[in-house]
Amino acid sequence: MNPANRPEMTQRFEAIYNEAVARKKALNESSQPMIYIGMATCGLAAGALETRQSFEQTLLEEDLAAIIRPVGCIGHCYAEPVVIIDHPSSGFPPLFYQQVTPGKAKMLVKSFLAGGDPLFEHVLGAMKANDMVPQVTDFPRFSQEERIVMGKCGLIDPEDIYDYIAEGGYLSLIKALTLSQDEIIKEIKNSGLRGRGGAGFLTGRKWGLAKDAQGLKKFVICNADEGDPGAYMDRTILESNPHQVLEGMAICAYAVGATEAIAYVRSEYPIAVKRVVTAISQAEELGLFGEGAQGFFDIKFSVFKGSGAFVCGEETALIQSLEGNRGMPRHRPPYPVQKGLNGHPTVINNVKTLASVPAIINKGAQWYRDIGARQSPGTAIFSVVGSVVHPGLVEIPMGVTLETLIFDICGGIPNKKGFKAVQIGGPSGGCLPADFLATPIDFDSLSGAGAMMGSGGMVVMDEDTCMVNVARYFVDFTQKESCGKCTFCRIGTRHLLDILDRITKGEGREGDLEQLESLALAIKAGSLCGLGKTAPNPILTSLRYFRDEYEAHIMEKRCPAGMCRKLTAYYIDLDRCARGCDACVGSCPVEAIFTTKNRKKGIDQSLCVKCGECMAACPQQYDAVRKVSPPDKAPVIERPVEE
Amino acid sequence: MNYSASEEEAGLPDKIALERDVAARLKGFDNHRRNLIPILQDIQDHFLYLAPEAILMVAEHIGIGASEVYGVATFYNQFRFHPPGRHPIKVCLGTACHVRGGDIILENFERKLGISDGETTTDREFSIERVACVGCCALAPVAVVDENIQGHMAPSKVEGIVLGYKIERDRIDRERENEPGEPA
Amino acid sequence: MVRLVVNDLEIEAEDGISVLEACLNNGIYIPNLCFINGMSSPPVSCRMCFVEIEGEARPVSSCAVKATDGMKVRTDTEQVRGLQRTAFQLLMSVHDVDCGRCPANKRCPLQRIAVFLKVPLRPGRLEKHLKNPDVDNVHPLIDYYPNRCMLCGKCIFVCREKHGQPRMTFAKRGFETVISFYGEKDLSGPACKECLACIDICPVRAIVTKDQAVE
Repeated sequence: MNPANRPEMTQRFEAIYNEAVARKKALNESSQPMIYIGMATCGLAAGALETRQSFEQTLLEEDLAAIIRPVGCIGHCYAEPVVIIDHPSSGFPPLFYQQVTPGKAKMLVKSFLAGGDPLFEHVLGAMKANDMVPQVTDFPRFSQEERIVMGKCGLIDPEDIYDYIAEGGYLSLIKALTLSQDEIIKEIKNSGLRGRGGAGFLTGRKWGLAKDAQGLKKFVICNADEGDPGAYMDRTILESNPHQVLEGMAICAYAVGATEAIAYVRSEYPIAVKRVVTAISQAEELGLFGEGAQGFFDIKFSVFKGSGAFVCGEETALIQSLEGNRGMPRHRPPYPVQKGLNGHPTVINNVKTLASVPAIINKGAQWYRDIGARQSPGTAIFSVVGSVVHPGLVEIPMGVTLETLIFDICGGIPNKKGFKAVQIGGPSGGCLPADFLATPIDFDSLSGAGAMMGSGGMVVMDEDTCMVNVARYFVDFTQKESCGKCTFCRIGTRHLLDILDRITKGEGREGDLEQLESLALAIKAGSLCGLGKTAPNPILTSLRYFRDEYEAHIMEKRCPAGMCRKLTAYYIDLDRCARGCDACVGSCPVEAIFTTKNRKKGIDQSLCVKCGECMAACPQQYDAVRKVSPPDKAPVIERPVEE
Repeated sequence: MNYSASEEEAGLPDKIALERDVAARLKGFDNHRRNLIPILQDIQDHFLYLAPEAILMVAEHIGIGASEVYGVATFYNQFRFHPPGRHPIKVCLGTACHVRGGDIILENFERKLGISDGETTTDREFSIERVACVGCCALAPVAVVDENIQGHMAPSKVEGIVLGYKIERDRIDRERENEPGEPA
Repeated sequence: MVRLVVNDLEIEAEDGISVLEACLNNGIYIPNLCFINGMSSPPVSCRMCFVEIEGEARPVSSCAVKATDGMKVRTDTEQVRGLQRTAFQLLMSVHDVDCGRCPANKRCPLQRIAVFLKVPLRPGRLEKHLKNPDVDNVHPLIDYYPNRCMLCGKCIFVCREKHGQPRMTFAKRGFETVISFYGEKDLSGPACKECLACIDICPVRAIVTKDQAVE
């Protein structure tokens, strides 16, 4: 950046900003109601497209005008499809509707837009303070969140750069460009921002190393190869507000002196890829980014689609795949900040890290430091899924306890079940039992407990979840995703899986646990990269906190949670089964249910696949299907011989 | 009118057509090694899988051995070496889907279609693939049929989905038979 | 020259070489499988050559650390041996131990390591996993035995050194990883016939010419 250009640049941006504000104002002043529909992947999966069509069609039928604005995801997955209707002339504040099916959409047009009745029974809350409707922020799912990274997600159109700019977007980049490289790095250092990719390395330090590294060329890479099979916040951020990430990347590039910025996005996320590509071309069109003198500073943006390999979340493997190779990690050092892509210094930061940067530059290091925990400032985003009432993405200040997150914010465990454990950090993380619910969420506390911030995946498990089975699941995953380069990970994880396989099938032997433990520790110590070093964590934590459950599988051939299918059986309690009722018969996918002589039902154990459908299908007033472990506890009911 | 022949052509272009199409696509990329994965992605997006001829042509374009291309392609989950079914079924086995019985859903598809994970039915209608998290955890368990995400899957829904496609297929077949005019 | 202390013995080493090379050059054996003398960036994949270095919290791979003046190294601690024995057992669990019929018999590094670590050529309690089929004969001249191979990658390394572009590759991933000559059957050029460097370098004779497959 040539300092002489600064006034000219500020002027140019001011014109863009004014245009954005004018557009927004025109939109706000239009008398037409606005219908915001959440159209990120999860919204679409829940039927947002059909909802949108229903709105459009009903508007047409009713001859009404309204502006439909597709937005990203607000993170409240339980409420999808989410719709916000802003209908100023009705006198109501903008209202948040949940689970808006096409039928509900039709009703909303007819009742609210045409008739002025907002259908309170479907309203979750108002988006603004008012004296008629409670605000969404009165609910803990909203009130305890602190949205820095996801602040604009679900509220702006991710495919319209002006929407982002009108909300103050790219002002931080402009501010950064008036600072020196060292000033920016100092600010990021002072903010205490730690990398959100898992390990929690200090971002400012990483940038400083990259800036000081010698190289003809430097790269910035945004790591959006989100591989944890239970985390999807990176996807949501890119789908809902890609510009905030690009702005963070641009600031980083300027600070370290990089001229190329690459967004590495999983190809499994086609919508995210598309929106990032669109966002880049919009920013280029406005002259924000560009090579040489085309942009505000010399920077070339591109998108690379990851081809599906969990290990490519590891920095050196990611670089290998960018270079067109098999994504096998290299030994570190040298670190990518010294020798990265094509041998050039390369900063690799996670989506959330980069998306935190604009706010830090805008509001200052001290502001950021005051949020969250002392050693882990800022916010954490978790995808809280599994057995919780209000699953979805939650952005909270660091330091909030697990209990607050799971019970207060996400509504606790549904179906009157008890809490058993929470798995944090995906395949690299661990399972924590109820004793740890008071643990504050920050990098160091979670590592201390044996889990890991990791990717931010959080799966809440109730009493029906078997910890051995879950450990087996994660090892199966890492085993399949091992790159195969080093001995410990390639072969060792396979043996971990062998042993867990046997245990969950009731073929566990004495000595299995000791072997599991020693092999797990060896893999942790002996593996080349982070994938192998952390792969045994799910086993080690569950062995530490749920050893009795392993022992029940081995000694008694019993799965206490009733999840391991080889160790459980379903049977029908003949005292409760209603004569002549056929509810379970149709639900069975393998025709294992037969009628007894007195017209009740029995399950043929040799055919049963233990899917539990009959249990779900049995009418509540009979509640006749039982699940037992070990399977020989099921009474034998003979199938009558056909005459 | 003979639909099936043209359909075959769209699904399995013969070798010459394939080579011509691959060559045209390769023109869009310079021969730098870093383009290897984007090229393979582009070819698969278009042809749905990586045919051996395509692998050889990519190797030649970049100036590396065919084995290098094969080595890279076999490393990544994304690449397929056989054509998938007309209706690819992806069963999510992410963490949330697993604890809600995703493996039971997978088994049900396998049983219903008589094929295993990674295989295609003999009539090439369906193929089954297990995937690690499609990112719709709140709807678990999830399956993706064609591009449609089916949330809150249950074993009993599997039959309905498969049947739905079969009925649709039968309807199309019937309409063809009933079509007046040109003999098939 | 740098001077370092290995197992209380002071040794000299050329500037810039790895701890592993320094030790091997001075007659101190450290089990290793994937390292070739003079390699600039070794794969560090076999996970055998662990040593403990004063100041490092954990055992490190000696092939990836440069020998420096005053460095204090131990090659024989309990932790190092523990890791080496586990790594060896893991390799044995995927190795077809059939030494009598194997052309590498008596010059096989696995045999040497077994003797050195005082462990049998068996995987202990671990289950044995052998690949099927046990030979890949797609190459016109060369056969590949996946159940002998321990994926050290030396063959690919020398092939790249000789030809610029390797004619062989690691294929598939993870536990299924193999060496592959994909496409080579269509290239019946003389390059392979005249070179055969991969065969010479393979320490376990997993890659052999078709006529010397079994001895």
